[in-house]
Amino acid sequence: MNVFSRGIRNAFRNTIRTTSIVVILGISIGLSLTMLLARQAVQQKISDIQSSVGNTISISPAGFSGFSSVNNSLTTSELSKVSSLPHVTNLVESLTDRLTTIGSTTSTFSFPGQSTSSTGQTSLTSPVTLNTSNRGSSGGGHFFVAGGGTLPTNFTPPVSITGTTDTATLDTTALTITSGKALDGTSDSNEAMISKSMASKNNLSVGSTFTAYGTTLTVSGIFTVSNEADAGTVVVSLPTEQGLSGQTGDVTSAVATVDSLSNLSSVTTAIKNTLGSSTADVTSSLTQANNTIAPLNSVKNISLFSLIGAVIAGAIIILLVMVMIVRERRREIGVLKAIGGSNLKIILQFITEAITLTILGAIIGLIIGVIGGTPVTKLLVNNSTSSTTTTSQFGGSGAVRTSGGGGGGGSFFATRLGGSNIVSGVKDIKAAAGWSILLYGFGAAIVIAVLGSTLAAGLIAKIRPAEVMRTE
Amino acid sequence: MLKVTNLTKQFSSGATKVVAVKKVGFKVPDGCFASIIGRSGSGKTTLLSLLGSLEKPDEGSIEVDGQDISKLSDHAQIKYRCQKIGFIFQGYNLIPNLTAIENVMLPMEFAGQPKQQREKRAKELLDQVGLTADQMQRKPGKLSGGQQQRVAIARALSNKPKLILADEPTGNLDSQTGDMIVKLLHGLAKSEDTTIIAVTHDLSISESTDKTFKIDDGVLKEV
Repeated sequence: MNVFSRGIRNAFRNTIRTTSIVVILGISIGLSLTMLLARQAVQQKISDIQSSVGNTISISPAGFSGFSSVNNSLTTSELSKVSSLPHVTNLVESLTDRLTTIGSTTSTFSFPGQSTSSTGQTSLTSPVTLNTSNRGSSGGGHFFVAGGGTLPTNFTPPVSITGTTDTATLDTTALTITSGKALDGTSDSNEAMISKSMASKNNLSVGSTFTAYGTTLTVSGIFTVSNEADAGTVVVSLPTEQGLSGQTGDVTSAVATVDSLSNLSSVTTAIKNTLGSSTADVTSSLTQANNTIAPLNSVKNISLFSLIGAVIAGAIIILLVMVMIVRERRREIGVLKAIGGSNLKIILQFITEAITLTILGAIIGLIIGVIGGTPVTKLLVNNSTSSTTTTSQFGGSGAVRTSGGGGGGGSFFATRLGGSNIVSGVKDIKAAAGWSILLYGFGAAIVIAVLGSTLAAGLIAKIRPAEVMRTE
Repeated sequence: MLKVTNLTKQFSSGATKVVAVKKVGFKVPDGCFASIIGRSGSGKTTLLSLLGSLEKPDEGSIEVDGQDISKLSDHAQIKYRCQKIGFIFQGYNLIPNLTAIENVMLPMEFAGQPKQQREKRAKELLDQVGLTADQMQRKPGKLSGGQQQRVAIARALSNKPKLILADEPTGNLDSQTGDMIVKLLHGLAKSEDTTIIAVTHDLSISESTDKTFKIDDGVLKEV
């Protein structure tokens, strides 16, 4: 038996006390590991979000919401100034409108901002289905009617029509052409692209025709798209939509692409200055990402402070325990010194005892950390992001809106709120405990034990063996 | 040979100074069993602490085996206690969570002896003081007072010290067991050629020792 084995054995001298200390230390170390895992998971999420930030800037009419009328829309001539700004490599302009299905109840149901003009009608029926008894709940389908109105039970969703200079994407989502061909976004022709589900719903194929705004349009291409909401959208070229809807020169949204991320901020400012805040709302993808990251940063800070607190608590626990043990064993320490034990050997014995207790606590703590890491991280992230979600859903006009972010334009529906989409992605967070974390946990436990033993070591060094004789 | 010359130690308690040991001088040859008697507060425990290098004297010298221990450094004092001194306490002061044999092996571990050697020596010593093989594996709590004191004596002898200092070695024992312990110490002093200094109230012990000193108010006289 040597100093170390004696220290280990001493750790089990009092079973009840050892168990209590180990459990308390385990909770402390478990909490610190949980916080460490949460911090790492959040940091990883932030990195993922930051790395996925695109170098695009969304431009929409000032104060524009998806269901408001387009009397404050931007114009092509205004946006031409944006195209000529330095570092702007591309500008996609869009004009979105909604069409009611001829003969459907939708045609008699008035939505905020919707024109009741019969020209905004189409022969198409939207493939998007609604469960109006469960609207606004799950699955990403959130529908709100301004002023607290309710949708009719046999409600038929309207058809969105988007005229765009870039027909390869819709709401920044790439379209995949499955048959036919893509349109030229700058041409003015009575051709349109529809989704596969729209084609199926209306028995259409490439070359088939349908009516919109009282004009016959030919299907030039059929596409698939990942966002189900976009399945109810007809895509035409920008000049076609401007002509059909009688909004020549109007644009409801634009997306500018910048040559590099480093220029994103300066170009955003330049666009704001060029268009003026009364004309346009300008939002960069970086701003959107930063808005998403903000609650994650607060979670990161909370987890850091909790981590520091838990480590300090662990060190204080072991410090107090060791001080208590040393005070309790003063006589024994005096005897060890009297029979030839050096301060170093005796201190080593007590540090070994502290390390044994702390490592046992660390094992329990690791179990707590591994089990609790993901739930606690999700809880922290959910609590932190819930306020953001609420603001996204009910802020602003709080009525029916279309696609996420600032883009939207005048189209009618959105099955998902943009912010909500990002937030749900943020909530999909998992704290994984790797070997590095486990080693860190044990390393931290040893550091805590050594730090916690310093005061005890000082007390040991001060004990005079002569005291043993005097207390006889 | 233990040679003490002009040894003085005083303690301060606020403004009051108490001289616990006053110019004490005596000699005890190797293998001699000597006793120091005196009433409580007479200075006998202080004298024992000075001899065991647990305290440093204010004046005077203590020579053990020709070495003056009064001016040793802290590190040298530890080495001195480990190699040259054996302590026997009134309350035994065994380490409670170690077995009897482990307690005896402890000073040898501090002295750096190999495990096999210290185990062999510990068994021999415990056998010599009368413990059975079964008792050697028991923890102090499972031994009687007399058995514990035997373990303490074996522990004091483990590093073959030149000097054994015993503070009231029979103080916690009944008279019959106390007599057995005294006889044991007598035998060990001869067989191990070790000087034993025992501080005691018990006059029956002092009557049986080779030399007897009486200490009164820090002043030592041979009786």
